[in-house]
Amino acid sequence: MRVVHAALLSGVVVLGACARTRKSNETVLTFSGSALGAEGTLVAKQLQRFMQLHPGIRVELQRTPDDANQRHQLYVQWLNARVGNPDILQLDVVWTPEFAAAGWVLPLTRFKPASGEFFPATITANTWAGQLYALPWFADVGLLYRRTDFVPNEPRSLGELVADAKQAMARPGGPRFGIVWQGARYEGLITGFVEYLGAFGGRILDDSGRVVVNQPQAVRALQFMRDELYSSHIAPLDVLTWHEEEARFAFQNGTAVFMRNWPYPVAAMSDKSQSSVAGKFAVSPIPASGEAGGHSTAALGGAQLAINAYSESPDAAYRLIEYLTAPEQMLERGQAVGQYPTRPALYSDSRLRAALAIPLDDARRAIESATPRPVTPIYTELSEILQIELHRALVRQAEPQEALNSAAKKIDALIERTGMRRLMGAEQKAASPTGSSMAGHTE
Amino acid sequence: MRKISRLGHEARLGWTLVAPALSVIALIAIFPLGWTVWESLHLHELRMPWLGQPFVGFANYVEIAKDPRFWAALAHTAFFTVVSISLELLIGLFLALAMNRAFRGRGFVRAAVLVPWAIPTVVAALLWRFMFESQGGIANALLVDVHILKQPIVWFIETSTAWVPVILADVWKTTPFVALLLLAGLQNIDLSLYEAAAVDGANAWWQLRHITLPLLKPAILVTLIFRTLDGFRVFDLIYVLTGGGPGTSTEPVALYTFNALLQNLRFGYGSALSVVIFAITFGLALIYVKGLGVRLGGDET
Repeated sequence: MRVVHAALLSGVVVLGACARTRKSNETVLTFSGSALGAEGTLVAKQLQRFMQLHPGIRVELQRTPDDANQRHQLYVQWLNARVGNPDILQLDVVWTPEFAAAGWVLPLTRFKPASGEFFPATITANTWAGQLYALPWFADVGLLYRRTDFVPNEPRSLGELVADAKQAMARPGGPRFGIVWQGARYEGLITGFVEYLGAFGGRILDDSGRVVVNQPQAVRALQFMRDELYSSHIAPLDVLTWHEEEARFAFQNGTAVFMRNWPYPVAAMSDKSQSSVAGKFAVSPIPASGEAGGHSTAALGGAQLAINAYSESPDAAYRLIEYLTAPEQMLERGQAVGQYPTRPALYSDSRLRAALAIPLDDARRAIESATPRPVTPIYTELSEILQIELHRALVRQAEPQEALNSAAKKIDALIERTGMRRLMGAEQKAASPTGSSMAGHTE
Repeated sequence: MRKISRLGHEARLGWTLVAPALSVIALIAIFPLGWTVWESLHLHELRMPWLGQPFVGFANYVEIAKDPRFWAALAHTAFFTVVSISLELLIGLFLALAMNRAFRGRGFVRAAVLVPWAIPTVVAALLWRFMFESQGGIANALLVDVHILKQPIVWFIETSTAWVPVILADVWKTTPFVALLLLAGLQNIDLSLYEAAAVDGANAWWQLRHITLPLLKPAILVTLIFRTLDGFRVFDLIYVLTGGGPGTSTEPVALYTFNALLQNLRFGYGSALSVVIFAITFGLALIYVKGLGVRLGGDET
């Protein structure tokens, strides 16, 4: 009898849970995110405050994996099944066009977001077919770390960087490695390449979506990376198997003069108890090559917030996104977990200075030099092609020109196979009211 | 007439009795396979809903046939399978012969030899990667110490050296299994044959060639079929150790399929790849069973 009772009771509870959404006028939103560590605490706190401000909305945190690939796979499966939860999706910077083209996230245009208040690059990365689909939540940016005890002034060009590295390595007791970066065959390799590519004035796709990754500037950029390994010998061959953490270990243990990495290691490396370079390093933007057309470039990373197209309450969802990307919350995020705000205005706020552990001007300059990776719905597959070909060139299975030609050919085939030409044509029409501004654009 | 109808009756009863088992097999083996084949005839890209899900006939198979990366992956798989199985058979046979002798602590040795086999592949692969990974790794230190290498090398950036840890790890892990299968075969050989041979003055080498190996053939073939099929589906070991790199020069077909299916979410193309792998392994199994006369579970004379 008691068992039956308990079963009935739990049935009622389950029914109650299902009916909650409809009960009274309360709207229930689900937010996708991490529930772990400082990040989890911060998100919980901000969601709580949001609910106090909006008594009619209740937000539930839906735990999703921290690993980007896993989260992506999960989202794609849910959205294919047209699931409306989570209402707010946390997108990696390179996913927005994919989700937008698939119709999985809503355009934000009708909410009139204040997109002018964010770094332009972070807005570009979230724009597809002339419409904004997500708001940048925090920015990640490629930085050049250097040992100030060997190289007091930041290098102004890549040539200076090589010279500085060699000089420091030659000094008695100097670090073994000149520069360390992420060269394993994975997404990190693309971010590094994009930075050198910009430094030499090259691009992967041009404005009209044509593949230009095998043009001379790109070949020179790839050749420069190869020269670091085999000619000037400032980068150890080990980097070809390294991710962010291996590079950090090397730099943190004092074995490298320079390092390319994201902002995240700053906190750990400033800690004397675990770092032998605490107080002896600084960051700066990655320099330009010094050649004509080249400019200092940082790869842009970070998270964006977008509305699930199948959400039942898009208006409430937007209100939450607006709240989480507001200056106060961003500042708090910077202080709690050290992530960079996407609003330039905050970089003159003294409260952020203590939180970021590096001079705010350096941080802002780096983000201002940030370039999104190609903004295209087929980015993931494009990236895979490029990862393989770049790696082939860097391990000397192929010459740079040969590898990049092969990459260009495969990316062209990918664009063909996925119907991107039609899609991009549509985007250009949507982006330019006349629909013909690109027509005369030839090189 | 009576006899035939009785047979018919028995056959009916027989079919009725195996029907539940057959339907389970149909549900868990044949249905998913059929679904995969059906899926492989469609364009189905989970990430690109704008393409729809049209029926494309054999277009996915044509794409596979035209894809150099697939053929390279097939070659890598074959290379891995042949090299690692040859080594495993050779070392396994040696171990089995040794363990077949009567010596003190034989039971303990037989159990101890199985330890590598008992370690999950991913864990074993991580251990091997750790040993080979950095220039200060144990493999480099050892080889420099004994003057095989002049200076430490980066194993995973050259195709030829990247295969070394992969094959070593597989041999280390799977040889015990091979040895045990062969040992079981050895124990079935009648000892009186060796006594007779010894009386006739045959030496140990002759005995190995003319008694042990011929009588061990069924066990060797069973081992081969198991290991070939395993080798062709190798995934976790290479996924962890090299990720298919440098470039894609150690990528096996299973990793390539995983990539198409689960990373790029190309369900149509990935399904076609799965069907191709299935066809290859099935073909290999057929060759072994029909061509080489392996009898699985049958009694040998």
